[in-house]
Amino acid sequence: MRLSHRLACLVIALPPLAIVVWLFFIPFLSSAYLSLLREDQWSLRNYYLVWRLYRYDILYTLWIAFFSLVAVLVIAVFLCGYLRIHINRPVEFLFKIPLFIPFVVVGHAMRVLLAPKGTLNAALSQIGLVNMNDPPSIAFGWIGIAVCLIWKNLALAVLLVLGSYRSVDETFLEAARNFGASTFQQIKDILLPMSKASLAVAGAFMFTSMLASFSVPLMIGSGEPPQMVMIDVFYRINYQMDYGTANALGVVSYLLAMGVAGYYLRTIQKGT
Amino acid sequence: MTRRTMRMAGVVLAGMVIFLPLSSLVIWSFAEKWYWPHLFPQQTGLFYWAKVMQGDLLRALTDGFLIAIVVTVLTLVITIPLAYVLARLPVPFKPLILMIFLLPQAFPQLPVFVNSTTLLYQVNLGGKLGGVVLIHMVGALVFAVWTMTAVFKSVPEALEEAAINLGASRFKAFYSVSLPLATPGIIASTLLVFLYSLDEFTGTLLVGSPFVLTLPVYMYRTSVGYELQVASISALMLMVPGIVLLVLLERYMKSEYLSMFGRI
Repeated sequence: MRLSHRLACLVIALPPLAIVVWLFFIPFLSSAYLSLLREDQWSLRNYYLVWRLYRYDILYTLWIAFFSLVAVLVIAVFLCGYLRIHINRPVEFLFKIPLFIPFVVVGHAMRVLLAPKGTLNAALSQIGLVNMNDPPSIAFGWIGIAVCLIWKNLALAVLLVLGSYRSVDETFLEAARNFGASTFQQIKDILLPMSKASLAVAGAFMFTSMLASFSVPLMIGSGEPPQMVMIDVFYRINYQMDYGTANALGVVSYLLAMGVAGYYLRTIQKGT
Repeated sequence: MTRRTMRMAGVVLAGMVIFLPLSSLVIWSFAEKWYWPHLFPQQTGLFYWAKVMQGDLLRALTDGFLIAIVVTVLTLVITIPLAYVLARLPVPFKPLILMIFLLPQAFPQLPVFVNSTTLLYQVNLGGKLGGVVLIHMVGALVFAVWTMTAVFKSVPEALEEAAINLGASRFKAFYSVSLPLATPGIIASTLLVFLYSLDEFTGTLLVGSPFVLTLPVYMYRTSVGYELQVASISALMLMVPGIVLLVLLERYMKSEYLSMFGRI
């Protein structure tokens, strides 16, 4: 390319690139830098504090993300199998709705629904399933967070998994049906094995977003330990102004996300 | 069971899963008196709807829309040329540029935005509308660059070459051939950028607090403050633009675009 063209490219690329570098790339790198400083001295004390104060929170976060991911994938695999074999457009449309409902709203809706004196317990107590004097609390705990994450991510999973199921050729399914395969067998033996790669990609994508979920645990968390990692980062900044430990915890969360990203790249390269 | 009843049962079940959590919001927004453990409110009415129309909610709504409009226009103006160039020309360092625009999707945003907030305060944009616009643009740009690059790649290059062979300049070929053909994709991407900005929470909370108020942040504050009616009304208002968009665009939206939405 001529020099003038190169210059034109540079001018065009500069404004968007500058914003992302300034407000994401540099702050991202400075997380690592700030996490190694304690009172203006190089030190690993921040990481020691993360280990001492937050190791159970890290496990708690991993547990919620892992549980929600497995639940979403299992539901999506069979729901999409059903939708692929017996076409049902209204159901497909309904499961797109959560895509357009922001996480904060999901958090609030579940808070109203699942709180001890929430709508669900009120409904269940009418038919005597719940003791009104000691209503169970589903919100304000890990199950409440998991329900929100599953509800919201299911829409995404249905979209991605159904897309990959649709790309499986109909003749395979017809052949299986001719040999008398049930819907379940068609899913287990044909659709699922042929969509493994895209399932892994969708899973990796959802797992990082679940690890990083912030507004949902903020809305329906209990305010007491254990907390999800993003809440710890937020409280560490807001209440203690401790940027060192908050950034060390941030770096830990990047590493967790990167582990998943590595797996995701390997799956894509294998191309299975 | 016949196939027809199976289908109906599926629709009813899916409807319950999707609408049960949302229905509580509707009931709460009209509840004036609601004592535990009654299934429905004792007294319903429009009292809280009238009340929120005078309060902070209106400010949050107008500020949120203002921010979203500015973010959308700025993002569009700087992304279209870049996306075109990335789709067509052998730009130097292209993989690096694309990687930088992928980072905000791949890593948790909150710990990064904590440091971005410090940077914005250094240039006196913290707690101001300008700062919130910039932090929204980080996410909006990632989204716009990837979708619009794909849109321009899907416009056949041969058409442009034909225009150039007939004596059009590169700019003329872009402006009167590629741009019109890319318009439907650009519109879809624009609407989603707008919705992203309207719904953005993390960045707004960190950069904007306590002075800039958008609807998601306002809803968060009222919900944790147990003003459940006000929070539910805000939540319903937040859902409207997304649902409208879904109904309008469902048939035209490619699943790659929709999938970007799982993040908000």
